[in-house]
Amino acid sequence: MTPTLFIILCSGEHEKIQMAAMTASVAAVSDRPVEVFVSMNALALFRKDFDRTHYEGGEFSKLMQERKVPDAIELFEQGKVLGDMKIYACSMAMDVAQIELGDLFGELVDDAGGLTKFLSDAESGQLIVF
Amino acid sequence: MSKRTTIDARGAFCPGPLMELIATLKLVQIGDEIDVLSSDKGSAIDIPAWVGKVKHEMVEIAEETDYWHIVVRKIK
Repeated sequence: MTPTLFIILCSGEHEKIQMAAMTASVAAVSDRPVEVFVSMNALALFRKDFDRTHYEGGEFSKLMQERKVPDAIELFEQGKVLGDMKIYACSMAMDVAQIELGDLFGELVDDAGGLTKFLSDAESGQLIVF
Repeated sequence: MSKRTTIDARGAFCPGPLMELIATLKLVQIGDEIDVLSSDKGSAIDIPAWVGKVKHEMVEIAEETDYWHIVVRKIK
């Protein structure tokens, strides 16, 4: 089995979110376990009330939205359905933003998680930060 | 008797065609073939690489005027 790919996603920028979603989903469907730790501005993306028609980003974000590239949230969903992917919401960011687990997509977010455990688990694999 | 299913993923950007292929692979029988039509240049490279990694089988890859036929056989 290929070592797990660990991804920390903290940016709220569409371009970084898209790249993280592509990386996570393609790895997961390629027989590579993936764990994603979502924190800071990226957490808003996983809220049930997130508007998928309005990602914040730069020039490339506008192009991607015009040309209808696969939606980042849908890519995470596909990675979870078709592969081995777990998504954890940073408990610190949830506390600061006063977000409860129930405010987040249950189909996407497996649980709240702490950075210490995530980093400890990540020692056995490869870690990428977006 | 093996079947061939066609997925028309033309117009979809990476990794859309790959994801459509994988979703369809879950539905067909071992030995069946899937013909992915893709206009995404990367798919012609990425799909054979994925097929090799997860041990399915490439049957054919053919370039048409503005898209590719990428035919994959389900092995497991």
